[in-house]
Amino acid sequence: MEIDQKFLELKEKGEGAYMPHIYYGDPNEEFSLELVKTLVSNGADLIEFGIPFSDPIADGTTFIEACERALKTRMTPIQRIEGVRKLRRIGVEVPIVLTTYYNIPYTIGLQIFAKQVKEAGVQGLIIPDLPVEEATEFLEATKEFDLKMIFLVAPTTDDARLRKIVEIASGFLYVINMEGVTGTRESVVQSTLDLIKRVRDCTDLPLMAGFGISRKEHALAMLSAGVDGIITGSAITEIYSKNLHSPEMSLPDIAKFAGEMKQACVEGYNR
Amino acid sequence: MNLQGTHGSNGRFGRFGGRYVSEVLMQVLIELEEAFESYYPTVEFQRELGVLLKDYGGRPTPLYYAKNFSELIGCKVYLKREDLLCGGSHKLNNSLGQALLAEKMRKKRLITETAAGQHGISAAMAGNVLGLEVEIFMGIRDMERQESNVKRMRLLGARVTPVKTGSGNLKDAVSDTLREWATCTRTTHYLMGSTVGPHPFPEIVATFQSVIGKEIKEQIVEKEGKLPDAIVACGSGGSNAIGAFRPFIGEDEVRLYFVEGGGSSLDADNSAAAFVLGKPGILHGAAMMVMQDEQAQIKASKTRAVGLNYPARGPEISHLCETRRVESGYAFDHEVFEAVRVMCKTEGLLPALETAHALAYVLNHHDEFDQDSILVVNYSGRGDKDLETIAGYFYGN
Repeated sequence: MEIDQKFLELKEKGEGAYMPHIYYGDPNEEFSLELVKTLVSNGADLIEFGIPFSDPIADGTTFIEACERALKTRMTPIQRIEGVRKLRRIGVEVPIVLTTYYNIPYTIGLQIFAKQVKEAGVQGLIIPDLPVEEATEFLEATKEFDLKMIFLVAPTTDDARLRKIVEIASGFLYVINMEGVTGTRESVVQSTLDLIKRVRDCTDLPLMAGFGISRKEHALAMLSAGVDGIITGSAITEIYSKNLHSPEMSLPDIAKFAGEMKQACVEGYNR
Repeated sequence: MNLQGTHGSNGRFGRFGGRYVSEVLMQVLIELEEAFESYYPTVEFQRELGVLLKDYGGRPTPLYYAKNFSELIGCKVYLKREDLLCGGSHKLNNSLGQALLAEKMRKKRLITETAAGQHGISAAMAGNVLGLEVEIFMGIRDMERQESNVKRMRLLGARVTPVKTGSGNLKDAVSDTLREWATCTRTTHYLMGSTVGPHPFPEIVATFQSVIGKEIKEQIVEKEGKLPDAIVACGSGGSNAIGAFRPFIGEDEVRLYFVEGGGSSLDADNSAAAFVLGKPGILHGAAMMVMQDEQAQIKASKTRAVGLNYPARGPEISHLCETRRVESGYAFDHEVFEAVRVMCKTEGLLPALETAHALAYVLNHHDEFDQDSILVVNYSGRGDKDLETIAGYFYGN
């Protein structure tokens, strides 16, 4: 399913979107497949599918460790992209947004990367260290593959750059909740609420809020402030990383967490 | 070829450089670029920085004709004595400049990373002089290897934060400093220690370090009546080398040599020679020559010289080597220790292990320079910090 279609469908149903973020292969491939299945059957509307990188500068401790563990499996980035194909084969139909750091496509070759990603069944891309100013070459090389290019906006982004970003962004906008890196936090700050208002005023693209969301209250606050959905990442990894020898034992807790987040997306949307 | 100044090119040096960072850092980098362009050229900034470099730092540093070392090499060798700059290395040139800039920008705090500890010390010094708080991120393994410098930084009042991610060295410390910066850009300046990182850092650091090359130019003309035939400098990110090279880049007759850390051998996982073992990639916000594995993951570098232990080469030195304006070479650890011994014996100077790479290169390649050649080695730092390591190598622990 395409990303635009998913947001339309949710709008009709009157629900906010929930997108969990995982790093594929943490701690092994079999678990990641089970994890995505669990997330989707418990309310995930989209999946953010992470290809790990050795130096994830936009990630906090939880995801740094997730990347380190995932990299121990020695899978190549291309093999991980194949994971999307496997998910499609086992019946995962929701839009998949692939996220990775720019060295991966840069080194593989921009076109080869985009082609592989598209053919595996990906709908959109997030490259956190590729700001709009540096994206021209990438967009040019990959435009034939019709992948949505999701850009990030932060509380520090000024209005001039905001306009530049919404001009070339597609799919949705990733609203960085706070100044910092990924990871769970205690509360939602005022600068985030201001940001949501500023972004809302200059685009009709759906807004997905991420970084620091780990509780139902966060999700409700974000939805009430006007975003179309929320992203959680580290919060899920924190659940299974307590039990890395048999991470599948954590799946019921993860199912419960995902269910609550989706529930918050529904409640928050209707407030 | 436009090599000096990058206005309007978004910090590009050929295909290297750029600004590959999270959106959270974009605004502060733009703000920094604008601040640098508006403050740096002013008479006031130049005067304040000039006074700090002279009266606090001890500039100009001498250009010393190393007679005994020259006899051994078979040509005239001059040492640009950055070891005599306050703090014991060239690092203070950049730290004073950036701390002054941070103060103008009304930042309250400096954060930075360090490997050998030389940059950390200079940042702590500059922070104190300019009244800014200082926090230094240092790989946990580097903290063990450079214990005396950790003590110095703490004595100067800096907070030293151990970095435990990755392999606990410089690469990981840079990553963690960037992460910390993302949380506090409004109050804090990242005092980048080398000519690496997102634009405008490579340009800013190069500008502040090029005081080295400007002095070399004046001093050598005064002593020899002409420009040198070659300049040799060690490096990883490239700040001392770029600093020495910049004023000579347009002087085609001056050969420029960049010496990286060969480690124990060029085999996998034993080296820091990114120009031999690396390829273009993106790390820490810039396109650079970088060591990586077949999975497009950045590899850890290895060398006994902690300050050269970085798997990437800065954008400008990457470009200068790719276009062959600068010739790159390397020295192995055992050659470096031998160079330390030779310098101690011939000139009574204990060089830093990093600096000794440039000396080892000259020793290895002495037959490429004829008798009348004039060589300048950028003698980037003193070796007190490496005493334990060096003594351990020669006499056992």
